[in-house]
Order: sequence, then structure tokens, then C-alpha cells
Amino acid sequence: MRDRLFITTMLLPAVVLLVLFYGYPIFDNLRISFTDLSLLGMKKGGNWVGLANYRELLHRGDFSHILFNTLIWLTATSVLLRLLIGLGIAVLLNTRALKTLRLASVARFALLVPWATPPIVAVVIWRFLLERNGFVNDALMGLNIISQPIAFLADMRTVWPSIVTIMLWNTVPLIALSLLSNLQTVPEEYYEAAELDGATNWQMFRFVTLPFLMPAILVLGLMSVFWSFNNFVYVWLATGAGPGTFTNVLATEVYLKAFVDFRLGYSSAIGMVMAVVMGAFGILYLRLVAHRQLEETL
Amino acid sequence: MLKLLAAGLVASVAVIGTVHLASADPVTITFRFNDTEQEVRGAIDAFQRDNPNIKVDLQRIGWKDARNQFLREAAVGEGPDVAHVAQVWVIEMGAAGATLALDDFIRKDPPPNGFADFAAQDLAKGRDGHFYGLPWTTDTWAMVYRTDLLKDAGITDLPHTWEDLRKNSEAVYKKTGKAGFGFPAGSSASGAMWFLANFYWWSHGKELIVQKPDGSYAIGLMPKDVVECMNYFKQFMDGGDNPKTNLAASDAHDPAIIQALVTGKQAMGAMPPNTYKEILKAYEEANPGKSIPFASAPFPHQDDTKSSMIGGRMLVINANSKHPNAAWKFTKFMASQAVFAQYYRTQFPAQTSLLKQIDFGAPLKGFAEQFPHARTWGAYASGPAPIGTLWNVTTRTFGKALSGQVSTEDAAKELFAEIGKQMP
Amino acid sequence: MTATAPSRHWRDPGGWQFVLAVVLTIVTLFVLVYPAIYVLVGSFRPGGGLLSTAETFTIRNYVRIFQAGFGRFILNSVVICVAATVVSTVLSVMAAYVFSRFEFRAKRTLFTGILFGQVFPWIVLINPLFVAFAAMHLINSYVGMILTYTAFTIPFSVYMLVGYLVTVPKSLDEAAIIDGASRWQVIWLIICPVMLPGFVATATYAFLLSWTEYLFALAFLTQTDLKTLPLGLYQFFGDDYVDWGAVMAASVVTTLPVFLLFLPIQGWISPGRIAGAVK
Repeated sequence: MRDRLFITTMLLPAVVLLVLFYGYPIFDNLRISFTDLSLLGMKKGGNWVGLANYRELLHRGDFSHILFNTLIWLTATSVLLRLLIGLGIAVLLNTRALKTLRLASVARFALLVPWATPPIVAVVIWRFLLERNGFVNDALMGLNIISQPIAFLADMRTVWPSIVTIMLWNTVPLIALSLLSNLQTVPEEYYEAAELDGATNWQMFRFVTLPFLMPAILVLGLMSVFWSFNNFVYVWLATGAGPGTFTNVLATEVYLKAFVDFRLGYSSAIGMVMAVVMGAFGILYLRLVAHRQLEETL
Repeated sequence: MLKLLAAGLVASVAVIGTVHLASADPVTITFRFNDTEQEVRGAIDAFQRDNPNIKVDLQRIGWKDARNQFLREAAVGEGPDVAHVAQVWVIEMGAAGATLALDDFIRKDPPPNGFADFAAQDLAKGRDGHFYGLPWTTDTWAMVYRTDLLKDAGITDLPHTWEDLRKNSEAVYKKTGKAGFGFPAGSSASGAMWFLANFYWWSHGKELIVQKPDGSYAIGLMPKDVVECMNYFKQFMDGGDNPKTNLAASDAHDPAIIQALVTGKQAMGAMPPNTYKEILKAYEEANPGKSIPFASAPFPHQDDTKSSMIGGRMLVINANSKHPNAAWKFTKFMASQAVFAQYYRTQFPAQTSLLKQIDFGAPLKGFAEQFPHARTWGAYASGPAPIGTLWNVTTRTFGKALSGQVSTEDAAKELFAEIGKQMP
Repeated sequence: MTATAPSRHWRDPGGWQFVLAVVLTIVTLFVLVYPAIYVLVGSFRPGGGLLSTAETFTIRNYVRIFQAGFGRFILNSVVICVAATVVSTVLSVMAAYVFSRFEFRAKRTLFTGILFGQVFPWIVLINPLFVAFAAMHLINSYVGMILTYTAFTIPFSVYMLVGYLVTVPKSLDEAAIIDGASRWQVIWLIICPVMLPGFVATATYAFLLSWTEYLFALAFLTQTDLKTLPLGLYQFFGDDYVDWGAVMAASVVTTLPVFLLFLPIQGWISPGRIAGAVK
């Protein structure tokens, strides 16, 4: 009984806040998605149109293209690379070699630099580095890797890798520092025991480090999927969804429909579809993948 | 009739209210201005000196977010008293009930030289016939040339036709290796390609959206007009005289384009005067004491066709304003000659009488020459499709064509299909 | 237990491994920092060094941004972000502790439910939230902003903290409780020190998300004297031109306080302090 009271008090503040901040807007958004509400008609309100917005979305000719961009490039590619590179940096910075050189502390600070940079600045800087006379082209030409400058953000072959690079620069530090702080809590005995058993470096990583990091990796992976899937800033600022509509994703489509075409009803419907896709993914992920890892919890 | 009476009553109460207030506590009005504070600080201070009973609070929001923010604020009774808006937003904002009709103010307390003196009045007049904004500043786009590069390419006369422009651009690239007409060909929703495409159509006597004599709206182009325009601009990409990277640049003030002009890696550009002034400033800073190798000129046009826009800004009063009289007083003051003569010198006034008196100076000569060959967005802004949607569809389809994703024919077809959906 | 023993999950590296680690780190450092150095250098050039190739040195960019109110923006950002971080972290620790230590009926539902806010693109939440905020008079208020950032950082913080907490043996709590400590004391006096790097990482996330957030700040803060740093930075993006020098200087000024805040914290959580603490 005392436990019950304790549990309630501990959870209540967070839950109340979340209900207030998500509950109402989500409910409102659902309602709007069945109307033809316009940004210009917020005073008057919209008319009920039933499922028309949803039908329109699913029957769009370019829906599969937008979905492909969102799922494959914006989400899968960027999340997998983010986790891999983040893990790599965390492991690297935790090696003893670097500690003796004090390089690790320097690098931990360096990780704060991209993380504290607002996305707009990150995009602006990278656009410059990727310009025809920019650092990247100069470097590649200087090393004789290419002979002509590449139009990174305009060429269909390079535009997605470039956007993903910008995202990675800005977001890998969160992953790296989170994993690094997990690594720092791995009990030393585990390694000592493994060493006594004659484990190789790879075996130590595979059987000591990785299992220990797994809960954090799974959480970071899930959240990264949500953030990437719903993110519009990088695409919007780097290419404006162009050339043409080549890099259009669901989130930029939401923005375009709401704030360029003024169609709040339709953009809310896109938002609902996105939420359902991510909600389903989240539940499946927790049940099927993360369940075993967070077993002590759930 | 009753409604009118009630409105009159409310208005007179408001007038009495301000008369009363004038002798009591000062009122505070909020002015939301979207450019830099220094440009209007002096004018606001002068207004406050002349009107000790009105305090003006300055707020700032970037242009890209200003419209959305104002619309959502106005819908829930929030927002500044006076707002700085683009001319083409005013009709929409009036229809949304976000802004106050100014007819009574204009009649009872008109600006000097009367309302008729203002440019772009058509864009101030709402669909219900009331005026929802006071035109404040005007602007236009023109061509900018790097004369030293043109000379190196053996070009002595600035181009007068679109064909010459194309040939000269190609000549610069072939003879000097530098970029010719490096226009921003990006596809973003506010991309500059929208302007260039329309200027091209207008100068050929055509327009994307027309209002018919019966008052209805229609697309004023044939598919072949769109294809021809796309083909024209595509030559610059295919020929290499507009570098491929510009497919990712959507603004005239894209730093890569400015840098290319300032450092002499590009010979021609298209832009508004303030971007041009930045270029001149950066050139002078980098080359102190050198003569300026830049010239501005109108976009190519035949005889009296238009080849650029009269753009600009208006001031609107929030429908929620608690101090509409003070807000009007301030609005009128900001549009006065004194403000443009003494304080607000980065923009041109919207009154024709004031615009005539302005000495543009040699570098901006081309912009002065462009004004008589410029037009407002007219039917584009009053028509049924949001102008932002037309703009977005145009930059997208041009982006697809210019980057070679689809043929110009298919891109033009898509443009017609998308805009067709917007027309009744 | 020696306080200085570094944790290691790698054996003493041989020569080539040592060199490889150092080289990789230097490459990583370069990629992380080079773009920022580009900004730092640009902030001392007219036009941010973007518009011409002139290498003039100037501090006018900094003068301009402080004239535009950056002193005030720093203060606003610090107040809002520090408050939001503290509130968010405390509430998240409370929730995460319960999730990691107790069994109760609605646990699964609640734990999954916390995620729900994260499945929405925030841009569709802005208009409905704005309407609600206006009704509650939370527009242009510190409190409104602090609550917003708290609410938007809690889900990730809870999940992250649960991830850290499940690695701490429950026996640690039980031993302390047998010794007479209350649950509340267990959290803050026993668990917290052990999990310090994890708490700091979570708090860092909450802080930096609030620090760089733009969309909500734009909609909810319009009064100049309440604006945060990202809003201050965006105002240099004009319609006809961008004040690149000011943007670069503003970017440096936005990043700098983060370092000043995290410098002492990084010292605290130096690996030696916690290695071997979980015994």
C-alpha cells in the first residue's frame, strides 16, 4: 500500500505534464484532420470533411516517393549510421591509450561543439563547406579524388548522403556522449574477469561492453527513429526539399501544406498518419526488440 | 444598416476613448517590424517625442515566420497592434479577419497627398472592397552586371533582350571560364526562380494568373509558354554558365552567389536593391579605393511590357488592437515623407510623389529605370489560389526541369495540373 | 578500489593500436571541430568571411549582436534552460526510478504511453498548443517556456534513465533500506552518485534541446526582452540579405555559455570517480 502511494506520487508530475502538453494538442489535431481548416480560417474554424484528407494523401502519385525518402534516407540510413558512429566514438574515447594522452577529455568537449550548434547554423556551415569552391570540394580535388567540383546538394546522387552527413554532424554527439557515460559505469571487474579468461579485444567488446550498452543503444535507437522520421529542419534548410521534390519527406510535406498552402486540415492528417506509423513501430519495437533487453523493467 | 450603426457607435466610443486617454496615462502599442531595428529606431523615437502619450514597443520576427505567427496570434486575440507585412499578404489577412479595415481612418485622417498617391493599392483592397493595409515601402528586382568581366568577354553593351542575355552569359563562360548569369535555380517554396519565370512571361506580354472581364480568374499561359520559359533557363544550366550548385541556391542573396559576384567569379545576377547594396559594400570593403565594376539595368523587355515586379511592404493594424487610433496615428507617421527623408533610408517609399523625388544614385540607376517597367502581383494576389502555393508549384516544377529529373514538357504539364487544382 | 584506476575494456594497447586510436581520435576531432572553427574565424570577418575573400579582422559583428540585445537573450536562455533542465531531470529521475524498481498494474501501458508525444511531428502540435497557451496566458512567459521544454524532454530522459538504472543492481537499494534509508534518500544519495555520468548525460540532452530549440520559442515568445538565443540568431536572416557576420558571432555566443556551464561538470564526472563504485 505504501508502495502504491509512493509510485503514484513519483509518476504523477511527469504524467500530468505529458497529458497536458500532448493529450490536448493530439486530440485537437485529430479533430482538425477531419476538417478543411485553413490557416486563414483559424478564427472561423473549418468544415467537417470526414476522411477526405486521408484519402487525398493515400492517393497522391508521389506518396510512395515521399515515404521512401522518409523511411530509407531520413530515418533508416541516418539512424543506423548515427548509432554506429556514436558507438565507435564512445568506445574510442574510453580506451586507455587516449586517457593517458588526455585526448579523451579534449574530445568530450569537442563533442559539445556540434551538439550545441543550432541546426540552422549547422546547415549554413555545411552548405558552405559543400559549395563548389568549398572546403570539401577543394580537399577532394587537392587529393586528386575528383577532377570537377561536385554539386553536393543539387546532384541527385549526392544530395541525400550530404543531408545525412549534416544530420550526423549535429546529432552524433548526443549518442556518443550518452554511450560514453554508460561505458564509464561498466564495473571494472567484468573486464578483469574476461582478461583472466584470455578474451580477445573483440570478445571483450562483444561479450562485456555491448551487452552492457544494449539497453541504452535500444533507447537511443528508438528515439532517433522518432526524431529523424519527424524531422523537417535539415531537409528544409539544406535543400528546401529540392531539387524539384527529390528530397521531399513527410515532415517537410506537413510544413508545406500547413504554412505554404495554408491547409491545416490536410497537414494534420499527414501528421496523424506519421504518428500512427511511428506509434505502431514504437509498440512493436518495445515488444519484440527492446523487451528482452529491458526485461528487468518490463 | 444596424450593423453599420453599431460599427459607427463602436468607432465613436473608440474615438472618445482615445481623446480621454490622451489626457491620461500613455497608451502602449506594439509594432512588429521584420527588418533590423536600426532602420526604424530613429523614426520610432521621433514619433514618441511628438506623441508623448503613445509609447511604441518594437518587436521583431524574421520574414520567413512573420505571416504564420501573425495569423495564429490574430486568431486568438493576440499579436502586435501594427505589423509589417508583405504587400501580397494583405488581401489574405483581410479575408482571415486578422486585420482592421482602414477605410474610416483613410477618410477621416488621410495621409498627406491622399491615399491615391500610394502604389500597390490594388493589393491593399480586400475581396470585400475594404482597405486592409497602408502601402509603406516599394521594391523591385533588376539585373546586376560585373562590367569588368563583360569587357573581358568582349561585351560592350548590356543585353537588351533575353536572347542577348543568353548569348552574353555563354560568351563570358566560354571566354573567361567564369560563371555568366548565375541565377538561384533552387526549388524551395520561396525560391527566386518564381520571380525570374514571371518576369520572363510578363516581358513577353503574358501572365500566369489573369482576371477576366467578368471578374473570374484563369491561367493566362499556354503549356508551350511554360515549356519555352523552362527551356530558356535550362540552357544556362546545360551550358555550364550557371554552375550546377545553384540548383541548391534558392535566394538571390545566397552567400555563394554574392561571393561569386564580389570576387569576380560570376558576371551577372538578378536581385533586389538591398542585396545589391550588400554586394557593393562587400566589394568596397575588400577593395578599398578601387572603382566599382558593377552596373545595374532593367530586365530585358520589349517596348512598354513589364519585366519586373513592384514588390514591397505594407503596414496593417491588428483586428484585436485595443488602440486602433494610436495605431493609425503611428502607421500614418511611418509612411510620411519625414520618415523616409530622415530615418528610414534603406527602403523606397510607396507613395509615387515621394518615389519621384528620390535620387537613386549611379549604382542603383538600373533599379530606377526598372520601376516604370514593373508591375504588382495583381490578380496573383487577389485570385483564388494562395500565392504561396503558386510560388511553390512553380519553383518545384522548374527545379525538376532544370535539374533534368523530368523533361520540360512533363514539368510544364505538372505545373498546369497542380495550378489547375487551385482554380475553380 | 583505487580512485584513479581508469576503466578499460581494451587490453593495454600495443603500438599500432595505440597509433590507430590516436589517429582516429584526431580525425574525429577535426570533423567535429573544423566547421565550428570556420564559424569562429568568420565571426571576426566582415560579412562572416562569406561574401568576399578579404581577411580583415573586425569585432564589429560582436558589437552589433550585443546592441541587438544578445546580453538579454543569454540571460533568458540560461534561466529558461537551466530551470527546464532541473525540473525535467528531477521529474524524469522520479519516474524512471519507479519504472526500474517496482511492479505495478499500469506499468507497461504507462511506460509505452510516455512515448506517445514523441511520435508526432512537433510542427503539427504548434497551432493547437498555441491556442491552448493563449487561453492559459502562457504566451510570453518564462513559466510557459519552462513547462514546454520540460514536457518535451521528459520522454527521452525517462527512457534513457531507465536504461541506466536497470544496470544498477537492486541489491544496492535494498541494502540501504535495511540500513534505514528512505526511498527518496536512496535515489538522491545512493543511486544518483553511482549513475552520475548517466544523469549528467540526460541533463545535457534536456539542456541542449532547450538551448537550440527554435519552433516553440518562435511561437510562444514574441516580446523582445524575453527572447532566447536561437530567436536572436534567426533575426539576422533578412529577406533581401543575411547579416552573416552577426549570424557567425551569434553562433559563437550561443555555443560559448554551454562550455562555461559544462566545464565544471566534466571535471566532476571524470571516469576515475565512478570506476568500481558499483560493488
